[in-house]
Amino acid sequence: MMENSTSKAISRWSLFGPPPILEGEDAAAYDELVGRICAAVKPVDIIDEMFMADVAASEWEVLRWRRLKLSLIRARALKALEGFLRDELDYDLYREHFVDELTTILQDNLAEGQAEDFAQTLAHECARNDPNAVDKVNQVLAGIGLQMNHILQRGKTRKANELVQQYVRRESDAVEFIDELLTTAGVSIETLTAEALAKDLAYIERIDRLATIAEGRRNASLHEIDRRRPILSEKLRRSVQEIEDSEVIETTPAKGEALLDERPQD
Amino acid sequence: MTSDRKIKANRANAKVSTGPKTDRGRARSAKNAFRHGLSLPIESDQALCEEVQSLARQIAGPHAGVHIQLLARRVAEAQVDLRRIRYARQQFLSGALAKNPYHYEPRAVTRLKMRILKHILKPELADIPIPAFVMNFVTAAPEGPTRFATVLSKETKQLLALERYERRALSRRKLAVRALDEARQRYYDDCIN
Repeated sequence: MMENSTSKAISRWSLFGPPPILEGEDAAAYDELVGRICAAVKPVDIIDEMFMADVAASEWEVLRWRRLKLSLIRARALKALEGFLRDELDYDLYREHFVDELTTILQDNLAEGQAEDFAQTLAHECARNDPNAVDKVNQVLAGIGLQMNHILQRGKTRKANELVQQYVRRESDAVEFIDELLTTAGVSIETLTAEALAKDLAYIERIDRLATIAEGRRNASLHEIDRRRPILSEKLRRSVQEIEDSEVIETTPAKGEALLDERPQD
Repeated sequence: MTSDRKIKANRANAKVSTGPKTDRGRARSAKNAFRHGLSLPIESDQALCEEVQSLARQIAGPHAGVHIQLLARRVAEAQVDLRRIRYARQQFLSGALAKNPYHYEPRAVTRLKMRILKHILKPELADIPIPAFVMNFVTAAPEGPTRFATVLSKETKQLLALERYERRALSRRKLAVRALDEARQRYYDDCIN
């Protein structure tokens, strides 16, 4: 019986507007939320369903703003960590990435006819700081408006980015290495996050404000459901009484049929 | 003080430009002040009126008296209003998120990008390739959570305006539901007594 009323409530949901789902949000998760709220509140009339639809929509919004705040903080933290790594990484750690970057550039810009592996050999020699190789590479780079520092920076950025991705996946080597680097520098991931967020406090404040508004709306709807409970329980009591009465009637068929006819239609 | 010559010139100019002349132009300019239409009463929209009627019937139940029907209609009106406000907000947010990512970029950043572009696109620098980090900066736009946060930050005013509409509709509905519940309670009490 209750399951029926819950599914009826969900099917009538369209009366209260389309689901408040934005592009990229999980519609199945919203349906699950609605189902759970319906099962918990057990609506007994359409007004109860209205309040439940409000609770579901507001709760979805609260979750949206919390998710956004969390991902914003996380994104800032990872960006700050990447910046920290770019400053702290030793050359030996990003040397391979530097070689890769340089090889690609040399392959595109060396004179035609030169062997393809020549670019790679030259990049390796340059990475080992071979004076002749460095001179040759500098000549090529000058021709295309680049400097060695740009390539070093690119290699460093790529390595830092790679390490951050491994840190996100909680790969033990990367976690250990980054933790060690942070400890040596006397900072923590929280310090980096706090510094990075200093610029974004206005964003966070606005998101918090929207979350508070949505929470207020959700609580007001819950309060209204609570307020109506005595009335609803009175109705429930009446319904139960009616069911019991009809059961008594059914046990005495002949009299029962007559009684049913005599009952007021509302 | 405005000179006679200027006044005459203004009047002559005003005679030349007297607003849109075609039906299409007039229809369009009639909507110049239209933003979201939420301040328009529900009765002004036939479809919404029908929705109200249908919802009011469901709220009141099949054999309700005139008083209950009236109170149910008030609940239904507030509910339909709430629905259209929420729909407007959702459309607004979806539209804002679907906009060009550069649309919500801080102006200072856009100005800096324009200055860089103006410099690197000079004809005498045409043969020199643009360094990747410069290209990355010039083409970078807020993405993911940053983009959403930027949209929110830029559209706070509009979102709070919609919030005010919603608060008013919620308050109207709350009072209407309470009045309906009280009327029903009185009806039950009368039945018992």
